[in-house]
Amino acid sequence: MKQVNSLGGQDLREMFVAAAGWLEKSSSEIDALNVFPVPDGDTGTNMLLTMRSLVEEAYRAPDHSAAAVAQAMAKGALLGARGNSGVILSQILRGLAQGLTEKETFTAVELASALQQSAATAYSGLSNPVEGTILTVIKDVAAAVQAQVSGGGDDLVLLMEAAVDAAGESVGNTPNLLQVLREAGVVDAGGQGLYTILEGALRYLRGEVEQMRFRKPQIIVGNVHATKLPEMIAADEDPYGYCTEFLLKGEKIDTDRIKKKLEKKGESLIVVGDEAAVRIHVHTLDPGEVLTYAADRGTMHQVSIRNMDEQHQDYLEMQKEKTPAVNIGIIAVVVGEGLTEVFTSLGASAVVPGGQTMNPSTKDLLQAVERVVSDKIIMLPNNKNIMATANQVQSLTEKTIAVVPTITIPQGVAALLAFDYEVNLETNTQLMQKAASVVKSIEITRAARATQLGGLEIKKKQPIGFLDGDLVAVADSTDDVLDQVLVRLDLGKAEVVTIYGGADIEADEVEQMGSGLREKYPQLQIEVIQGGQPHYDYIVSVE
Amino acid sequence: MAVKIITDSLSDITGDLVKKLRINVVPLYVRFGEEVYRDRIEMTTDEFYRRLVTDTVFPSTTQPTPHDFLAIYQELAKETDEILVITLSSQLSGTYQSALQAKNLLEGKCRIEIVDSQTAGMGLGLIVISTVEAARKGASLGELVDFVQRAMGRSHLIAYFDTLKYLAKGGRIGKAQGFVGSVLSFKPILTIKDGVMSPVTRLRSRAAGIDYLYNSVANYPDIEALAVEHCTTPDDAEALIERLGSFFPRERIYQSTISPVVGAHAGPGALAITVLEAEKA
Repeated sequence: MKQVNSLGGQDLREMFVAAAGWLEKSSSEIDALNVFPVPDGDTGTNMLLTMRSLVEEAYRAPDHSAAAVAQAMAKGALLGARGNSGVILSQILRGLAQGLTEKETFTAVELASALQQSAATAYSGLSNPVEGTILTVIKDVAAAVQAQVSGGGDDLVLLMEAAVDAAGESVGNTPNLLQVLREAGVVDAGGQGLYTILEGALRYLRGEVEQMRFRKPQIIVGNVHATKLPEMIAADEDPYGYCTEFLLKGEKIDTDRIKKKLEKKGESLIVVGDEAAVRIHVHTLDPGEVLTYAADRGTMHQVSIRNMDEQHQDYLEMQKEKTPAVNIGIIAVVVGEGLTEVFTSLGASAVVPGGQTMNPSTKDLLQAVERVVSDKIIMLPNNKNIMATANQVQSLTEKTIAVVPTITIPQGVAALLAFDYEVNLETNTQLMQKAASVVKSIEITRAARATQLGGLEIKKKQPIGFLDGDLVAVADSTDDVLDQVLVRLDLGKAEVVTIYGGADIEADEVEQMGSGLREKYPQLQIEVIQGGQPHYDYIVSVE
Repeated sequence: MAVKIITDSLSDITGDLVKKLRINVVPLYVRFGEEVYRDRIEMTTDEFYRRLVTDTVFPSTTQPTPHDFLAIYQELAKETDEILVITLSSQLSGTYQSALQAKNLLEGKCRIEIVDSQTAGMGLGLIVISTVEAARKGASLGELVDFVQRAMGRSHLIAYFDTLKYLAKGGRIGKAQGFVGSVLSFKPILTIKDGVMSPVTRLRSRAAGIDYLYNSVANYPDIEALAVEHCTTPDDAEALIERLGSFFPRERIYQSTISPVVGAHAGPGALAITVLEAEKA
């Protein structure tokens, strides 16, 4: 591919034209990702409308210099900005235009430095910048392109490739930075939008305009899994109020003062622009107050007030339609943060807290059944004492319930893993039951009192070990208990041993037990997980 | 005049088999950074997988251009007036679109039919092989299109992956997205359903995964053709074929390597079997 050392205004404009077209192809998918700051499902659309306004203005640039085109695009973005991400996008453009001031054309080094300006300007417009959003993505992009030119890279195509790669990584990482994304199992919508825009621009530079017609942008897959159902996200929060947006035109407008004043009026405040035109975006319960204040400072244009609670309802509807047609839902009874994550990350539709000494009620299980979208449900009780409760649920609901009689956590995990997406409820119940019956479960706890049981003399608080629910070992240390249980098993046929450490066990203790086993049984694959379960210091599965 | 058949390199039909079937295989492209290679032609499969593991650049893949198809259409149009193109799933690649576009560019009276197989790998390969046989028996172009569409329902590809890392990174994860992000490690079994990657189930070890492939063949009582393919593990593929030999003639099992274009998403260590069920009388 030929190297591109400098670009002019026309190329800059065409990059954004291509980017807008590219964004259009996935704007509805980006809408569906939108959970922050308000799950109202309009980020993709808002960014697209901002891009369109930007492109339109780009054609009105007085000449073909990079500076003039960038300036026009920044103006177009400011005038047409919609929503949080749209306004931040307009800030990114504003920074870019500042960085390209007086440039007829620009090089990789100049673009890298303009993107630094973009990142700085994006942050400055917000009174309360939040990481794990489009802001983090533009910051990471700026850092990556800077590193690229510092390394002597002067090809603009390679520079944009570095930008797109960094944006992709950064978007993938947003769930690790922002809890609401993590819970919803999605990446940040605004960040995804920016990634798509950069990718569209890169594809233009690579000369792939023709191919773009037949392809679609990809949505970055985060490395997280939803732990909450859509309707649970921010469900118990205060009302969202009204998303209030307008353009304020006047003379000598003091953006800082407006920002300070409006900060107390609502959330997600953005005030950006210059002395002559300022775009204001705020989520407020009382839009009237904001408008009255602004009316004294200039003329208002493009006033838009949207009821976000209503939008949130629409969003929930949209999520329902989008939810993959899983016709079988799985509900597991699990306690412990780590174990809950194991089950949700393996695709359990809902987890009901419960286990040894804390059995959920029939009502708890029924509620979970009604909440899960599927009409067919498989339940994993994971405890002997919960089996009867689970079996009762069928008589209380119209949904079809199958209980796979798992009596330990390892059995539950084995059953869940064996779920087959290609077969029906009945066959799945059989497959899962079979998988559960093959796994060996070891549970280690401490004796509640001194007793004699199964021929074993047990002192109070002494570690004791159960194999598939039967008490088989007692010793002075948990390690010895585990050894005693393991020798009863035919480990020659085993492949994987998983150790789940309990709530009272430190992470390094669990790790130590893992390394001990690895040394002793080098042929086995040993996996260690901080399960966080109460009652059992260790739960171990042997498969 | 016999109908000429074209497929793409994701059919995993290679080498002598291409000659034997007398078909044309249009290569897709593999790209490492700025280097672009034609699938299996300019870069060998071995070389590719070596680089996939060691290279810092993550490879991307691209469909053939309409011009690539056009050149072959023009060549074939000299000797036939009927061409059948069978491509990999249009939801996994734009190859089908390129083939369609090229059709519009071709002048002359040659009839071209293009079918989206909604699958890839030997899932596509066995459809092509079966179709070639039907063509040899004298089926017309229209009959062959029907034949392919029926064969699509008979072709079942089941794949074992060592990791989902590459699939997630390449953006082709499809409905198997639910498999990503697990706290517990496992080995996924996937299939291609309605043209996209779809989850089947999960096993705890590679050995259990390969057992699953073996056992899934037993679900089909009447098998027309069987294929085993691998990315980087010929020994495992060989052992699997040996075992499958107990209920299907060993020498009739097609063996192939997974195309680098797919391998870029499947990652090293992947294995796949494809069953082509016999057509019900």
